[in-house]
Amino acid sequence: MSTQGKVTIHQLPTGVPGLDEIVGGGLPEFSFNIIAGAPGSGKTTLAHQFVFANATPDRPALYFTVLGESAIKMLRYQQQYTFFNPGKLPDSIRFINLSQTVLEKDLSAVLEEITREVEKSNPAVVVVDSFRTMVRKPQNDMDLQSFIQLLSLFLASWQATTFLIGEYAEDELRDNPIFTVADGLIWLRQSAERNSIVRKLQIVKLRGQASVPGLHTFRITEAGLQAFSRTFGLTGKRKHLPSEKRLSFGVPALDKMLDGGIREGDSVLVAGSSGTGKSVLATQFIAEGIQQGDPGIVAVFEERPQAYAERAASLGLDLNTPQKDGKLEILYLRPLDLSVDETMHSILDAVQKIGAKRLVIDSLAGFEMALSPGFRADFRESLYRMIFALTGIGVTILSTVEVDESFTEFPFSTYSISFLTDDIIRLRYVSIDGQLRKIMVVIKMRGGNHAKDIREYEITSTGVVILGKRLTNYQGLISGIPVHSNRPEEIKDPLDKPGTKSKD
Amino acid sequence: MTPPELRDMVRRLLAYDAIASKNSEPTESATLRVYEKLHQSIDAVAGAAASYSLASRALALAKEEVPSLGAAQVAANGSIQGLSEFETQIDNGMDQADDGGILLIGHLLGLLLIFLGEALTLSLLRNAWPSASFDDRDSENGRKA
Repeated sequence: MSTQGKVTIHQLPTGVPGLDEIVGGGLPEFSFNIIAGAPGSGKTTLAHQFVFANATPDRPALYFTVLGESAIKMLRYQQQYTFFNPGKLPDSIRFINLSQTVLEKDLSAVLEEITREVEKSNPAVVVVDSFRTMVRKPQNDMDLQSFIQLLSLFLASWQATTFLIGEYAEDELRDNPIFTVADGLIWLRQSAERNSIVRKLQIVKLRGQASVPGLHTFRITEAGLQAFSRTFGLTGKRKHLPSEKRLSFGVPALDKMLDGGIREGDSVLVAGSSGTGKSVLATQFIAEGIQQGDPGIVAVFEERPQAYAERAASLGLDLNTPQKDGKLEILYLRPLDLSVDETMHSILDAVQKIGAKRLVIDSLAGFEMALSPGFRADFRESLYRMIFALTGIGVTILSTVEVDESFTEFPFSTYSISFLTDDIIRLRYVSIDGQLRKIMVVIKMRGGNHAKDIREYEITSTGVVILGKRLTNYQGLISGIPVHSNRPEEIKDPLDKPGTKSKD
Repeated sequence: MTPPELRDMVRRLLAYDAIASKNSEPTESATLRVYEKLHQSIDAVAGAAASYSLASRALALAKEEVPSLGAAQVAANGSIQGLSEFETQIDNGMDQADDGGILLIGHLLGLLLIFLGEALTLSLLRNAWPSASFDDRDSENGRKA
């Protein structure tokens, strides 16, 4: 059968940042929707955002309040949100109280009153809040089903997009005739995870278009709900093709070890214990990028941006000027109750704002600690989605990770995330000649012929400096307690080309 | 709004209503008409129960200042009863009686301002007096222009 001539279903903006992408572009016009969830989950606020985004004087919104939250209090509280525009009342948005009718009469009287008001106002949007309280009065099933059917049919015929708001528990999802009638079912959840509240929403059902499946986190702020799609708002974005371009660290000897630098669009892990210079290396990577014309972002979790910039300044790296010039953003992401999706949202905003090519996440441990406990369980999975999404748009990511220094093992990370990374650089302490010295080795480099050398390095006033020799006269360096061998102390560095200096 | 500003607003409402109600029942008092319109506007948005509660509180506050309002009562549907005796006093030119009616509506407006804020209160007033002008305020954001 031909698809030509099929009906066009217009989509209406939800008024909730991030939600349009989740529902597949916007909510279908004339659809009959239910917003369900526990008390305090944000149902009324979501409905208000939709109403304020779509109501006009010609096609107003009718907001029927029933039992439950009193209209006075609802208006008192809802007007605190920035989207609440009192100028839209009463021409574009009309609040109508049905509580008396519900208390004193039956559902047919309620239907009559809604019908009367709809015929009078020709609304584009109709909300019944809370619909659930209306049907809690003893009714037989037939009454309720008839009411829903008639209401749905009537409102669709009058070209209204409708929301019924109801307080429902998870176990009521099955075999509910109301949900069968609805075109769309938006479920809002909130749960306590230790000391944090985790909010998630799900498009359980949406007729006529594809929504993004799964649970999406959302936050309620003074601007109302903000949703964070699992696809990070990148649905339909063109994938960045793999590049052969190499990005310098600003540490020539390290670039050489990396066969010219990090491949653009890679995810790099710099692992090491405390004080080994992970952040220093990360800062050099971002500063070198800016030098080369690549705007960058640093996401910090353990220190404030100013402190980060001051530490960079002590290495002779100026991060303040590029920040002023819009070439660098240092994001301090509010700790304790973040979701990865929210973090991603902040990072993506910054990426788009300054056209960032390099991103430093310093550190993964700090990132994990900043998450709400409920999200930590999904950290690896979330990190996978995040890295995949960011590298997919051509951003090169350098993450630092702290690993426990062991003198018997050589772990790359405590998160078992090495499979998420294209390249791994390992920093560690070794005990040599009565000194605690530092060594560096490139463990892995996807698609590159990296050096296998173990190199000693120091952190000086100019940052990481790799010393001009590989350590050939020690055995068991990666154990941290090497044994001196009797081989000659220096041999020619195979990475050195004739005529080049071995020390940077 | 301060109490004097609220009284000014009530007087403006009385003036609007006097113009709009030229053909209405001559026996109906202006104060009662203004109160009823306001009450119906609150009722439409917030329901009868809210209208009753706010009116009861407003009347109680007004009675503290004008004890002769003592006979007035708020009915279950939010309308005011016993104000007619009061209106007789107004007809006799008693200033206190005049103040009482204005005070009652003024307190009702004051409560609306406390609970809903200026923008939504003005929105309720516009519902009740669609042709009246409240141009000295910015209707788009509810703040003073």
